[in-house]
Amino acid sequence: MKKFLALLLALAMVFCLAACSGGDDTGDANSDNNTTGNEDNGNGDENTGSATGTSSINVSIASEPDTIDPALNSAVDGATMVSHLFAGLAKWAQDENGNLEIVADCATELPEGVVNDDGTVTYTYTLKDGLTWSDGEPLTAQDFVFAWNRAASTELAADYGYMFEVVDGYADIWATDDAGNYVNPDATLNAVAVDDTTIEVTLANAVAYWNELLAFPTYFPVREDVVADESWATDPSTYVSNGAYELTGWEHNSVITLTKNENYHDADAVTMNEINFYLSDDANNMLTNFENGDWLLIDTVPTNEIETLQTEYPDEFFIEGQIGTYYISWNINVNLLPSDSTLTGVEAEEANDDIRNALSLLLDRNYICEEIGQAGQQPASSFVAMGMTDADGSQFYENAGHSDDYIGYFDVSADAYESNYEQAIATLQQYYDYDESTGTFTNVPTITYLYNTDESNQAIAEYVQSAWSAVGINVQLENQEWNTFLNTRKNGDYTVARNGWLADYNDPISFLDMWTTASGNNDTQFGKGDHASIAMYDLDLTPYGYEVNVTDGTWAETYDVLISTIKSCTDDEARYAMMHLAEDMLMTSGCITPIYFYTDIYMLDSSVHGFFANPLGYKYFMYCTIEG
Amino acid sequence: MNSKLLWYIIKRLLLAVATVWLVITVTFFVTRAVPGGPFLSEKATTEAVTAALEAKYGLDKPVFQQYLTYLKDIITELDFGPSLKQRGREVIDIIGDGLKTSAKLGVIAAFSALAVGVVLGAVAALRRNKIIDKVIMVITTAFVSMPSFIMGSLLLVVFAVKLHMLPANGSTAEGLILPIITLSLYPMAYITRLTRSSMLDVLGQDYIRTAKAKGVSGPRIIFGHALKNSLIPVITYFGPMLAYIITGSLVVEQVFAVPGIGRAFVNSITNRDYPLIMGTTIVLATLIVVMNLISDLLYKVVDPRINLE
Repeated sequence: MKKFLALLLALAMVFCLAACSGGDDTGDANSDNNTTGNEDNGNGDENTGSATGTSSINVSIASEPDTIDPALNSAVDGATMVSHLFAGLAKWAQDENGNLEIVADCATELPEGVVNDDGTVTYTYTLKDGLTWSDGEPLTAQDFVFAWNRAASTELAADYGYMFEVVDGYADIWATDDAGNYVNPDATLNAVAVDDTTIEVTLANAVAYWNELLAFPTYFPVREDVVADESWATDPSTYVSNGAYELTGWEHNSVITLTKNENYHDADAVTMNEINFYLSDDANNMLTNFENGDWLLIDTVPTNEIETLQTEYPDEFFIEGQIGTYYISWNINVNLLPSDSTLTGVEAEEANDDIRNALSLLLDRNYICEEIGQAGQQPASSFVAMGMTDADGSQFYENAGHSDDYIGYFDVSADAYESNYEQAIATLQQYYDYDESTGTFTNVPTITYLYNTDESNQAIAEYVQSAWSAVGINVQLENQEWNTFLNTRKNGDYTVARNGWLADYNDPISFLDMWTTASGNNDTQFGKGDHASIAMYDLDLTPYGYEVNVTDGTWAETYDVLISTIKSCTDDEARYAMMHLAEDMLMTSGCITPIYFYTDIYMLDSSVHGFFANPLGYKYFMYCTIEG
Repeated sequence: MNSKLLWYIIKRLLLAVATVWLVITVTFFVTRAVPGGPFLSEKATTEAVTAALEAKYGLDKPVFQQYLTYLKDIITELDFGPSLKQRGREVIDIIGDGLKTSAKLGVIAAFSALAVGVVLGAVAALRRNKIIDKVIMVITTAFVSMPSFIMGSLLLVVFAVKLHMLPANGSTAEGLILPIITLSLYPMAYITRLTRSSMLDVLGQDYIRTAKAKGVSGPRIIFGHALKNSLIPVITYFGPMLAYIITGSLVVEQVFAVPGIGRAFVNSITNRDYPLIMGTTIVLATLIVVMNLISDLLYKVVDPRINLE
């Protein structure tokens, strides 16, 4: 009996040891704060779950954000939180009819720029009177200038630092010599705080989406003494903001709590007192909490539940447009011709372009959207996504391509599939041996389709495999873990890969400048490797008033020139026309096979009113009320 | 005798340090050899930005030099470095946050499993082939063979969705109840079965028969002789199990949205967040090594005949 007691004692010691090892690692005062926050949220849960008319809302838009530092954030969920916490010169808002617009926030108004003699454009903004930070300190023009220079700096090296590319001086900051050293360590953006309430910023040239950039999180102000502490944005006690909310709780990987900032200049309009962003990366768990009534908005639902949920919650299931395209990218340097083909150089490249475009026509995008995606995705026949506006305010994608009969570069309607198929077979017959009796090609090299591990990517990959196999093409599927996949695709170690792009701002250039030779997103390897010396592209910009007329140029001589011309062009009509030209070049190459335009699915409890989301996918809860 | 035990502990501790060092070394070079990097994303940063970040975090140096720097920081300052993905956060804080939750969950789950498991196991053994034994065996077989994601989902549906008794996310104290139950069912069932079979074995031993013949009372035989001696396999199982359970169960954390260390570990690998991968690996390895040592020492307490050498 004594020994049994000794055993129990020993086990109790193990218990203590384990408990201590847990405690020791957390160790500091923070853990106490966190625990308190946790319990508070527990109470909050119950309130919002059942009561009506409360001004606290529990939502779940994603898992733990990598950062909620406005300059460092590059994620949509982070941007949603930052947009509640900070106020820039401009913001997204809804007018009386529910249409989205960009309006002045910290600035009194958003004036037009003044074009200088050298083509640069200067904007002058006046800040509203009496702006303060959440800790009561005055907010000044200098804070904006500091924040912008910080976000664009080489020291911070922020993902979205390039958002300041349009501002005069950005190029100097990042200029390096051949050894990779920065040549102008003291360079700054051409932005000046004339006095405490006046900001003067000069852009390298007029930019159509400038006001939208002012509403972009990277452009939000931060205060120098606050961000001097590198970990300022990870803890409520050091987080100082100037927007509708302040950060009052962050239980890491669990919940972020925002409480209304009474110092915000427009605090009276803010109806929601508290927002709890629950951090979850499991769609099933999100759904359980939504069905439970604990969480009133969830931004992800399990893919295989989409169909059921749509019928089960017709008033609470939402599908919104999102400016993005799911597509398949081809490595331009992989030759698809049969091994006995005699074509080389430009001729081979032209043949490959034809083949890729034909393979694209073999895919039934309506099937993919309806049977696999099941979330209202729109079949795509061009790359620049639906939702992007053209020069005349119409949809850019509606003006893409050159046909009067259909929208885009091929007819994506369900009726056209058969004729697309026949056209594809006819094209492929020019390059491969075709067995009429079986309706298959016999000498197409094996194609390996690369995708990252994910249910819906896999389903699409399997569909592509079956569609191409049906005509005798041997397709192998290769799936890689996310980070490995990104690496493989970026380095061009693939033939064809799943790809996707979401725009950062409403301008088609955000879909087009990624295909320049030096771009980090040039997964197709345009202008790289063997393709660097392929001289087969024509570019005539004389109709738009530029002395550029290249025949049989390389990718660098044509596409890269076209993009830089677009970026410096101030005439909207010419600019948009040239952007269509750029998309023509991309689509002719066949290297980009658009599949569908993305949609954003979320579920919102019917008791929530006043909610809106912008086309970039940011969700706004500040004007929400909960009734009924 | 005591000096022998001390010497044994010292030897084992040295071995533990060597093991952890080996784990550090292998993990360090393997993570660097795996393709990808911490600064990759669907939207690629420019080469200039990537270069600036690599310089900032010392990733532009040769790998071996990075390894030496890392070892130096760990040994001299216990500095695990900053996270590369969650900018502004220190690895030690991220691990601390996760481990705090996982350890709370794990310790409660493990000890309830132990308490319930030993009692059920003993009862089953003493009532061998009676109805209660059969019931216990059927239930434990079910728990042992049911994967935790099914068990977790089942509990969620019943208690969170249908009955509205408990919350579905593990971010609150109440919310930890379901994950604790989910976590404890498997070890509980396993311990029950271990205790039962080992107790049956012990009950058949000669010394038990001798004790019975000498007229020792029933409870004394069970608690004084049988139960204690039948716990050795349970201890063997319990030490490492405790280490695994408190270092986080990815599945349970996922199902109940518990902010534990398991998720942090898995995400760090997906993100190639090198310092966080290293940090979590070191902490987990250390815990497992220490738990193994403790369970070895406990043998000695339970059965003095065991020679630790």
